[in-house]
Amino acid sequence: MIKIISARDRVMKLFGGEEIDRPPCFSGMGNVTAEGLKELGYKFASIHLDARKMADSSATTYKLFGFECGVVPFDLCVEAEALGCEINVYAHLEDILYPTIKKKIIHTEDEMDIAIPSGLQHRGRIPLVCEAIRLLKKDIGGEVPVGTYVLGPFTLAGQIMELNDLLKLSFKKPDKVGRLLDALADAVILVAGEYEKAGVDYITVREMGATSDVLSPRVFKGLILPYLKKIFEKISVPSVLHICGKTNDIVPFMAESGARAISVDQKNDVAESRKKLGKEARIFGNYDPYNVLVAGRPELVRETVRKCVNDGVSAVWPGCDIWPTVPPENFKAMMEEIRKDGR
Amino acid sequence: MVTEDKKKELLERLKNAVIQYDEDTAKEAAKEVLDVGMNANDAIFNGLVSGMEEVGRLFEAQEYFVPELLMCADALYAGLDILKPHVQQLDLGVKGSVVIGTVEGDVHDIGKNIVKMMFDVAGFTVYDLGRDVPLDKFVEEQLKTDSDLVCLSAMMTTTMVGMKKVIDDLRAKNPNVKIMIGGAPVSQDIAEKWGADGYAKDANNALKDAINMISSLKKLKEEAEARKSR
Repeated sequence: MIKIISARDRVMKLFGGEEIDRPPCFSGMGNVTAEGLKELGYKFASIHLDARKMADSSATTYKLFGFECGVVPFDLCVEAEALGCEINVYAHLEDILYPTIKKKIIHTEDEMDIAIPSGLQHRGRIPLVCEAIRLLKKDIGGEVPVGTYVLGPFTLAGQIMELNDLLKLSFKKPDKVGRLLDALADAVILVAGEYEKAGVDYITVREMGATSDVLSPRVFKGLILPYLKKIFEKISVPSVLHICGKTNDIVPFMAESGARAISVDQKNDVAESRKKLGKEARIFGNYDPYNVLVAGRPELVRETVRKCVNDGVSAVWPGCDIWPTVPPENFKAMMEEIRKDGR
Repeated sequence: MVTEDKKKELLERLKNAVIQYDEDTAKEAAKEVLDVGMNANDAIFNGLVSGMEEVGRLFEAQEYFVPELLMCADALYAGLDILKPHVQQLDLGVKGSVVIGTVEGDVHDIGKNIVKMMFDVAGFTVYDLGRDVPLDKFVEEQLKTDSDLVCLSAMMTTTMVGMKKVIDDLRAKNPNVKIMIGGAPVSQDIAEKWGADGYAKDANNALKDAINMISSLKKLKEEAEARKSR
């Protein structure tokens, strides 16, 4: 008889390689919902700038729907901002628009030899995210695991310089790009270390910029993987490597990165990945967060849970951030369906 | 008069310059095209564009990825910039104007730029609004320029939904305008559901679709005018 005392217990056991009763349904990426914001009366643009609002918003996804985690932050600009970029939170709009980088710090190839600012972990919103982690832990941390994420070095490089240039240079001048990724890996390690101190249970490294929709598996292996390895070596809590898009050709490299689990989206054929990586590998995914969870009918929502489990995921996990306008009945249907697997 | 052999050689050089992302060769070959008095239109379509078609195939076969594609595009533009001023009349059977941009909240413009390049080579007048474009701006620009086509791009699921609003607004203001959407999260299904006329799976597909749309639009206009004059 497997004894699971909480959703947190289940996830931590999964990361630890222990037997569990069923796959958890959780995420390592943004998980705020419009329903949760309505309940709290918060505007989307405001929850990125206030630790209390950030933590409260994240907690509603567990409280309203039983999603088996709490994750902060919600946007992808935290590290870039700490490095000196300016961000836009679209405060003037009522619509749900995620913050983007307004001003980058590298404008030409010559500016690529950057130094990581001292005290990076105290700059920008990193202290705010740490505070949100502490608040979230206090609120729901006994019941569900609390996670956070950082960007992978290549994706982060695409935030602080023109992606166009970065992509071409990764081909023309890989040494130069490599040096930048090495420096950014140090930055990511600093930030992740700070989140660990705040008490986070697991950290996802999002390296979606290096998907095989964009970069060849050869470039991924030669140019990106070494710096991901460097990062995972330094993360002491359970870690996940997330890459979206076409990933079937690179899952063996992802598994080599040193992450405790890999995360893929709906474009990955998980049955095939499972065959490639074997039954011990932790594969999280590959639930389609928009076409199914937002736009699908509840029957499709349930079928997709089944498909993920049958294909062999270790956790049913959305392939990207939860899209905030997810219909409550769909979210509930997803959670109901996974709970049926409990033994 | 330029010999057939010379012509063939130059077309081959232009084509290979694009495939091998060699900007210098593209420039040199384009200059030589002008020097020897070869037809610039021919050089664009049977040289540069046919190179890009091969690049498209290599991309589909996953031999080329986005960095290669971007470098090939640079080579194409290097040649195109030299040849374009000497083009008398691009002959694709249809010419049109297009408003293009990446929707607000999205700062990814690589896909949009590749599609834009196809319109550029086809001789369309392109009004490029750039990226992170406020939704109202699309409608405003279409009305101002009376463009035949509006192309919306979104790279992220999180911004894709903004396209629906633009489509609705455009339809309300100008029911005849043709709308095409594209980007990683977009699908044929979404295009149909939201009432877009076309869905650009990739740049090649975007151009073919755009030409079809504009042809049908022009035909409608001609029919309407013919009825009026009767």
